[in-house]
Formats: sequence, structure tokens, C-alpha cells
Amino acid sequence: MSDMLLEVGNLKTYYFTHGSVIKAVDDVSLEIYKREMVGLVGESGSGKSTLGLSIIRLVPPPGKVVDGKIIIDGEDLLKLRDKELRRIRGKKIGMIFQDPLTCLDPLRRVGDQIIESITSHIKVDKETAREMALKVFERVGISPERIDDYPHQLSGGMRQRAMIAMAVVLNPKLLIADEPTTALDVVVQSRIMDLLEDLKNERKMSILLITHDLALVIERCDRVVIMYAGKVCEIGSVEEISNEPLHPYTKLLIESIPNVEKTQMELKPIPGTPPDMRNPPLGCRFWPRCPYALDKCRSVEPRILETDNRVVLCHLYGG
Amino acid sequence: MTSLKIFIVARALALIPTILILITLVFFIMRVLPGDPVIAIVGMKAPMERVMELRRELGLIDENGNEIPLVTQYFNYLSKLIQGDFGRSLIWGKRPVLVEIMEHLPATIELAIAGFLVSIILGVSLGVMGAGRGGKTNNAVRVYSAVTYALFIPWIGMMFQLVFSVWLKILPVGGRIGVGLEPPTYTGLYILDSLISNRLDSLISSLRHITLPAITLGLVISGVFSRITRTSVEEVLRQDFVVAARARGLPEYKIMMHVLKNSFIPILTMMGLQLALLMTGAVLTETTFSWPGMGTFLLERIQYRDYTTVQGTVVFFALIVALVNLIVDVFYAYIDPRIRY
Amino acid sequence: MYTFKPILTKIIPKMPLKTMGIVGLIMIISVVLMAILADFLTPYDPTKSVGLSLQPPSLNHPFGTNKIGQDMWSRIVYGARTILLVVALSTIMSIVIGVPLGLISGYVGGILDRILTMIMDAIYAFPSLILAIAIAAALGPGIVNTAVSIAIVYVPTYFRMVRGQTLNVKSQLYVEAAVAIGASPLSILARYILPNVVSIVVAVFTLSVADVVLTEAGLSFFGLSVPAPTPDWGFDLRAGHPYLVSGYWWLVTFPGLMIIILAVGFTFLGESISEYLGLREVRA
Repeated sequence: MSDMLLEVGNLKTYYFTHGSVIKAVDDVSLEIYKREMVGLVGESGSGKSTLGLSIIRLVPPPGKVVDGKIIIDGEDLLKLRDKELRRIRGKKIGMIFQDPLTCLDPLRRVGDQIIESITSHIKVDKETAREMALKVFERVGISPERIDDYPHQLSGGMRQRAMIAMAVVLNPKLLIADEPTTALDVVVQSRIMDLLEDLKNERKMSILLITHDLALVIERCDRVVIMYAGKVCEIGSVEEISNEPLHPYTKLLIESIPNVEKTQMELKPIPGTPPDMRNPPLGCRFWPRCPYALDKCRSVEPRILETDNRVVLCHLYGG
Repeated sequence: MTSLKIFIVARALALIPTILILITLVFFIMRVLPGDPVIAIVGMKAPMERVMELRRELGLIDENGNEIPLVTQYFNYLSKLIQGDFGRSLIWGKRPVLVEIMEHLPATIELAIAGFLVSIILGVSLGVMGAGRGGKTNNAVRVYSAVTYALFIPWIGMMFQLVFSVWLKILPVGGRIGVGLEPPTYTGLYILDSLISNRLDSLISSLRHITLPAITLGLVISGVFSRITRTSVEEVLRQDFVVAARARGLPEYKIMMHVLKNSFIPILTMMGLQLALLMTGAVLTETTFSWPGMGTFLLERIQYRDYTTVQGTVVFFALIVALVNLIVDVFYAYIDPRIRY
Repeated sequence: MYTFKPILTKIIPKMPLKTMGIVGLIMIISVVLMAILADFLTPYDPTKSVGLSLQPPSLNHPFGTNKIGQDMWSRIVYGARTILLVVALSTIMSIVIGVPLGLISGYVGGILDRILTMIMDAIYAFPSLILAIAIAAALGPGIVNTAVSIAIVYVPTYFRMVRGQTLNVKSQLYVEAAVAIGASPLSILARYILPNVVSIVVAVFTLSVADVVLTEAGLSFFGLSVPAPTPDWGFDLRAGHPYLVSGYWWLVTFPGLMIIILAVGFTFLGESISEYLGLREVRA
């Protein structure tokens, strides 16, 4: 257990809109260990982004973390005040987002923005900060003279690298990556993922990769967390999940991955649509789309089953 | 920076049609008066010579007494304007209108700046406070901007006069400065001139005199500004880079600076467009507080039927509006590198 | 706990807006009633001297009297007629000129559109009161003349919005379809564009009427509105100003207050209607 970096326990994050409550993250527990890349997979609306934002405590209003605990290095992030959280953000936990163009201040040069991040956390003078910035730029693969460019002057891939540079320059222990490659083309995507993997190994950093792309996770990650409608369906290592998926949703997801090697040429999407999060179905939230649904599933919520790092939320396994 | 220069030139050229239209409009309004302006000035019983002389002044007839066609009158006027001749006053011994405008302009500028500052301080801080907060503060700011905008300036000015000048007697009721306390002229702005020439008595007097007018003007305009600020800031706060900046652990004040810098542009543009509002407000404020600026000047000349001066002044206003719009555009391009051509 | 929150977050934010609209409506209706019922609200003729000069408010003269001995309350009550008349007249004129021009300009497009738009933009950018002053000074006093001055200044406001909406509707598919079938421009304008335009005209009206009130007040403050004996709030404000220093506060307080009530009333109403219709940035 000394290998554990982040522990999320019974996390509940709800959005309070006019007249209704959206339970975006509803009683989620998971663990992230040191030096591993964990893939958090789910459809849009599954709550995966909210989970990422909850960890770094940046859930936008009208959302709010209602219950649970998030423990890193012995501190419960939910009990910290803003000042202390700011200390952690950027330094202990970093986050990168899907669209780097909108995530960088368009009016300032990228170099200045990194320097600002650096000087906000550690006491160094401007030259040292600039050198650190240049070094990390080099590390992520941007030529150093681009440090004085404005965000709109960089290409999509370079902007993402710049964002990564900003996030890792202070060597955080956890990097939350929210759909970092979704907006990029396949070739660039692959390079960015290579970069993230290398950084993970070099800097002994863990990465929480939030994505809807299970294939990407299987390719690159160590463990997988599958989310559906605000709940965790299944957790397991990449081998376990791809060879022996337990939860029906996982099974369908695996089957829906296009496989050029197999002779079947049909794509198999999962039938049905995700539930309306203001009024999720009673019982197990997946039952309307589940090919194995039992009567029990429609009314009784399943309980979490845990066996040595394997977690599943399904009546089929006695939950 | 050449892209910026190109931008400036392009925008300046685009202004010309606008100015032209306004000048034309003013010209034809003044010319298409029902009734004879000349008679209105000198009365029915004036000697023919006087009438002819005035007609010549107004550019209605040429030296030989022949009627000049309207279109020619128009082009004559235009060509004079380009050379900087705004016409001459019909009353005060043929003084050039431009000179008279320049005499009264600094007072208006000083008032406008003071009022603008007050409105920015009030409006922007309220707008920033109201931004991003839901419900009650939002609506409070809304109500504030609705009410302040509708406050008829002369009335609110008079109320201030009533309370502070008549009942409490702590501030002067009108005018720009105490008698005989004018500082030597460097810029024409009394406050600046007092500072430059180190005259404390002038400084205090001008500050005392400008307080009520500036607050009146600033209060009424701050409503509009507060709403503009609030919407702009909210727009920016919603953008992703705010979340990303927080994710990097930047302290809140630095984030607010980023936000302000980004919302600065839309705020500024809209403020520039509010110049019309500022000018209208200044005119009303001046007449209420007997402030010797363009507003009082205009009103006075209207009452004296000094048509050429009125015409010239209105044209001058048009030019100012156009100029300020240009400056705002240029500033906009300077701050946001994405805008330049 | 979760049932409380929806109540708090749902009803309260909407409330002030609705309240605003209702308060505004009450204000406006009060003034209108004042104008209509003027004869019943006061026994005095506002243009005649009916009392001693410069009397403070009393039972006989609730708002006091001015220098000439006119009853201020009567002048307020009858003054409502003046201002409402001018505002109504000028608004009608602005609409009658601005809306058709906007329709034609938006629909026909081309050079006509560009020229008209340039002219309208130029007028729009210019300070409203100053332009109105220039025109009113040229035309002379009188209700109709004043209304014309103000109308000209606000034509661009209606023009722009109507033109914008016309362009919007024009690019919709169902209009293109109608053109393809061979419908005449007039029928297209009438059947498709006009109904959409009506709601926008209402919106523009509610938001700019407050401005019109203030512009009229400004004009009458400068003595450019209606000629002397006719009761006019702005004029009274100006007339009473010199006496302020001597402490005769009732001469200016009441006329100005009425102007503000009318303007604020329209502003409140306008805000709440525009929120209801979901519009922004329609400021004169």
C-alpha cells in the first residue's frame, strides 16, 4: 500500500441546476498507484471529466463535491482550503485539457505563461525560471525559439505539448489528462502519447488518462477504470479487462472496438443511449442497454465487489 | 509593428464616409430651415445692407448679390472645412468658430475625463463584483444599471446641488473655479495646470468645483459600464483557460489579472462606443453646473441664433466621435495581436 | 435539503426580474393615468397664475407654486400629456420610417443597402441628444417639430434591428423555397418577414423608449421643445434651477422626479421584457 499515490473514496459530485440535481459522480472509489498510467473510460455524460475536475477541485458551479474523500500523500483534498489547494495544483497534481487553444491565455506568450506557473510555486528569479521553461520545452519536443510565440502561432500538436510542458515543469506526482489527444490527428496523437509515457517513466509520475477511447487505453495504460452514468462499473488491469471483461458494459465496449485483424467488417456500437442524468434509471443504471439484465437489475442497485484490485459493480457477480 | 500601421491607415480611411455623411446631414438641416435665418437674426426691420451682408456671411450669395445654388454652397462649405475653417460667429465680431471651440474645449475635456474616471471606478468594480455570482448580486447590479441610466442628469445634479451646496454648504454650486484662481495656462486643464505650476489654491478650488459635476456624470454612466463589465468578465470567466490556469495553481489575483486583461478589450470597445453617451451627459452636466465648456457654449449660441457656430460645433462633435472611435480601434489592435490585418 | 435548493435557485433569480417588470409597468401606467385624468386631478389651469409666487408645498398647492404663481402640481399632471404625446409621436414616426427602410434595405441588398446602412450607422454613432438639439434648433419649437427631431435620431435604431432580422429570415430555407416557387417580393415580405419583425420592433421599442423620454427631457431642458406656457417637465426643471440656490427646492425636485419615474419605468419594463424574449445588446 505504500505504492498508493491517490485514493478516492465514495466521491459524490453533483450539479445543482434550476430545479434538478445531476449526480455526475455518484459514489465513486478508486486508487491510483505510483508510476502507473490509469485509463478512465466512459461515454460523454459518464462523469469522467467531472471526476477529473473533482480530484483537482475545479468543478465549475453549479457543481459541488458533496461527499467522500480524496487522499494524496496523507492529505484529504476535500478538507483543504483554497490557499492550500493552490499549492497542490500545478506542483503535486497537474492537469491538461482537450483543447489547448482555449486553455492558454491568447494574449500572452507561451514562455511567459510557463514562467508564471513556475514563479507562482517556487521562489526563483526570472532567468532561472526561463531556463527551466526552455529545458522543459526541449523535453516535450518544441524548439526553444518558440518560447516567445503566442498560442495562436503554434500548431495543434505543439500547443498540446506546450500545455504538457506547463503541467509537468514542476514535476507533479499525478498528471490528469482530460481527453488530451481527442482533438489531434492519429499521428500526432501517437507522438503525444509517446511523450506522456516517457514522462511518466522519467519523472516517476502517474497519469490519469481520461478518454472515451478504450482502444487507446488498452494500448497505452496499465490499468483501466470504466465509468457509466456516474458510477464505476469495473476496474482492472489492461490484460484482465481486454481478455476477461466482467461487466456487460465492458464487454460491449471491447466488442465495439474495430479490429482490423478480425474478419468481421461490421462495427458493433452499443445499442441505446446514455441515461438522462437528472433522472437515472432505478436499480442498475445500465439495465436498459444490458443484454444480460435480470429482473433484479431493474429495481435494486448492485453493490461493489472487490477482489485483489479487480472491482465490478454488477448483479451477475453477486453484487 | 507594420501590421499595426496598416491597420491604423485602413481604419482611418474607413471613417471618411461616416464623417462626410454627418457633415452633409448637419449642413442640410441648417440650410433647410423653415423661415429665413437671416430675418430670425436681425429682425424684420433690418436695413437691406445688413441683410445682404449677413447673406454673404452665411454663404448664401456671392459678392455680386447672386444666389449661390445649394449644391455649390455645400461644396464651398466642405472645402473650407478641409482647410480648417469652421466658419465664423455671426455675433461675436466674426470670431472664427474653431477658435471659440478651442477656448471651451479644455473645460469639457476635463469634465469628461473626471466623469469617465468616476464611472469606471464605480462601474467596473460593481461589474467585476457582480460577475460570476449568481442570483442576487446579479440582479442587484442589473437594477443598479437600469436606475442609474435613467437618472436625468440635470435632476440628479440639482439634487446634489441642493444637498451639498445649499443645505450643507460644503461644495460650490457651479462654475469651474473660484474667482481669480485660474492657474497659468499650460494644458487648459485646470487641475493639471495647478499641479504643474504648483498652485495649491487653484488646485483645491478646481477640485472642489469639479467634484459634484464629475460624480453626477460618472454616476449616470457607471450603470452602463457596470453592465458591460459584468457581461464581459462573465464571458471570459467561462473560457477554458481560466480553468486551466487554476489547474496550474496560479494564485487568484494573477488569474483575475488574466481575466481582466482578456475582458479589457470588449470592455474598452464598448466604452469607446459609449463616447456618445459621455458627450451627451457632459453637455447636460455642464448646463446644470454652469460649467464653461462646449455644452454651455452650444446652448448659448443656439439661444442667440448663431447658426454658423452651432453648425460648426456639431460638425466638430462629429469629428471627435470619429476620432475617438479610431483611437479605440487602434488600441484594441495594439492589445490583441490577433486583430491586426 | 435537496428540495430546498431548487426553490432557492429557481424562483429567486427570476423574481427580481419579474418584479422589475411589474414595478416598471405600474410606473408607466401611473403617468399615463395622470395624463388622461389630468382634468380630474387638479382644479387649476397649469398655464395661469393661480397662487402667490414661490410658495412651498401646502394643502392648496401640494407641489407648491413657481415664480409666476402657477401651481406646480397642475404643471406636473398636465406636463405628463406633453411628454407622452411627444414620445408617442416620435416613436410612431421612427417606426414608420425606420421599419420599412430596414425591410427594404435588408431584403433588396446591394448598393442601396450599403448606402442606407452607412448613413444610418453614421447617425447612430453620433450622440443622440446633440443631434436632436441641432435639428430641433433648426426646426423651431412645437410638439410636432420636437417629435420630428427625436424621431430622426432614433430611426437608425429601428432600421438596424429590422434590417438584421430581415437578413436573418431572408437566409432561411423556407424563404428561399418561396422565392423558388416564384412568390412576389411583396408577399414574401408580408408573409414571412413581417411577422418575425414585429417581435423585434417590440423589443427595440421597449428598450429605447426610456432613451426617447430622456432625450425629450433634454430638449425641453434646453428650451427646444414646446413653447412657453405649455406645461413641460424639462422646461420647468430648467426654469426652477436659478431658484435652487435660494432654497426653493420644490420647483425642480418634482418635475425631475417625474421624468425619472417615467424613464425608470420604461427601463425596468424593457429589461424584463428583453430578458423574457432572450435578447441582448439592443441599446439605443
